[in-house]
Amino acid sequence: MINTTVNLGGIKMKNPVATASGTFGFGLEYQQFIQLEKLGAIIVKGTTPAPRQGNPPPRIAETPAGMLNAIGLQNPGVNKVAGEIIPRLVHLNTPVIINIAGDTVEDYALVANKLDGVPGVAGLEINISCPNVKKGGIQFGSDPRSAAEVTRAVKAATKLPVIVKLSPNVTDLVAMAAAVAEAGADALSMINTLLGMAIDVDRRKPVLGNITGGLSGPAVRPVAVRAVWQVYRAVKLPILGMGGIMTTRDALEFILAGATAVAVGTANFVNPRATIEIIEGIENYLREQGFNNINQLTGLAHAGI
Amino acid sequence: MALLVQGEIVSHMERAPGVFMVEFIAPNLATVARPGQFLHIRCSEGNDPLLRRPISIHAVDRDRGRVGILFQVVGRGTALLARRKDGVIDVMGPLGRGFSTGSHNLMRAGSIAVVGGGIGAAPLFFLLQELARCGDPARVKVLLGARSANQILIKEEIENLGYTMELATDDGSVGHRGQVTELLLKLLPEGVSYVYACGPAPMLKAVCAFLSEAGIPGEVSLEERMACGVGACLSCACQVKAAGGGVHYRRACVDGPVFPAGEVVW
Repeated sequence: MINTTVNLGGIKMKNPVATASGTFGFGLEYQQFIQLEKLGAIIVKGTTPAPRQGNPPPRIAETPAGMLNAIGLQNPGVNKVAGEIIPRLVHLNTPVIINIAGDTVEDYALVANKLDGVPGVAGLEINISCPNVKKGGIQFGSDPRSAAEVTRAVKAATKLPVIVKLSPNVTDLVAMAAAVAEAGADALSMINTLLGMAIDVDRRKPVLGNITGGLSGPAVRPVAVRAVWQVYRAVKLPILGMGGIMTTRDALEFILAGATAVAVGTANFVNPRATIEIIEGIENYLREQGFNNINQLTGLAHAGI
Repeated sequence: MALLVQGEIVSHMERAPGVFMVEFIAPNLATVARPGQFLHIRCSEGNDPLLRRPISIHAVDRDRGRVGILFQVVGRGTALLARRKDGVIDVMGPLGRGFSTGSHNLMRAGSIAVVGGGIGAAPLFFLLQELARCGDPARVKVLLGARSANQILIKEEIENLGYTMELATDDGSVGHRGQVTELLLKLLPEGVSYVYACGPAPMLKAVCAFLSEAGIPGEVSLEERMACGVGACLSCACQVKAAGGGVHYRRACVDGPVFPAGEVVW
């Protein structure tokens, strides 16, 4: 019997594979392709206090082995998410984690407080790393003191497990991770997208309506694996690793680097069954390689280094 | 409910310079597909180019279980797809909200105009197949426009369905010299009661303006960059008039790609 269950800072997952926020809607869009119950966790789209329209199009641009996005946190607001959307997910036997965002520390606390005790919510992922909105997001994600302040405010506003999603667009990721760990985060998720941009040479203008956007897909994977590796060595919190995971072997890289669980994002667009294939692939790997518990793999690549 | 299909390619043709017609076997897809819906097609086997390409359904042969696409090579993805002459293609679909072809449209007094510009003719053929099956082709006028005569697509196929057609080309090499929208403007007062259109944005903008002025309803099929194709990623936002006034973003992939002409904000 192979044990694939993991504990991500108090969130119990039946397997280590989640869907990354923003790439999976509220999950319902993918029910036509996969059984949502098979997922380790579902992390839904960034939710803010009030509804947001998002950025002007074009919102995406394809880049080598990746894509840029600048959606701009379009979402129906926390009241609608809590009142109308989560009730449609509550029957699922899989944890639903809500990604939360805001313009101010108070915004984050408000959203966290409104989601506290809502049936069907298993945890919160604090988005302090969205590169596509003018206020909030990345400004909290690039300064350790601001990140710690948001983390403390959210922890005070909820009893739910709190995961902090870190940005790679910083000089010292380990300092960020240490600051939010100190402030009471239950887990870390990394990495959010890398800030990037593309220019249309024919029109001689930026491709994206927002000018800059977040880079995701296989192109960013080595950056993400490195981030997990460094933070695992420095901070004793479970890590949800993500960044360009397309296949089982990609997911295993993150786990071996130190991730307790992984999230699959951009791959959902290419292969809507990617998560399920990775869950099955990890089980096969464990069996074939003679492991009986997924947790034996976490950080294993550090052995002897 | 979209399907994931590995469709065996059974025919491949370059119909005009840079425009390809590919037919593949997908009986279940052929059964459920509706005109105006699209397919999300994987163009590379590896990770580059990464994303699927949204391509409209051009023709459906339900008896033989075949689905056809007609697409123009515009970048790396479509260039790779055009090179795929046999084997299977990886298709998600049918996706999106297509044209409404219910009896409420067909039973209206007056005639129906179907307007296509350039590669925008592609999804209109499936619509015309459906209108021929459940309506009267004599009541439908087809208007096609393109840059030049060799870019007028699928003229014979449309005629074979029993439709009459008027053409417009930028260079006057066939039909009216000028825009296809000029043909529509002339036709509208002659008792047109409903219009379906697909083509480049400037053409659709003109169509919507003419329809609004004439007070005639219609539908237009929009094109947007897409990532997921199923409504999850919010990449393909387009501005649409909100019910209570003002404008809001809708997703071209699930709320469209076909929208009522009066709702689109240009």
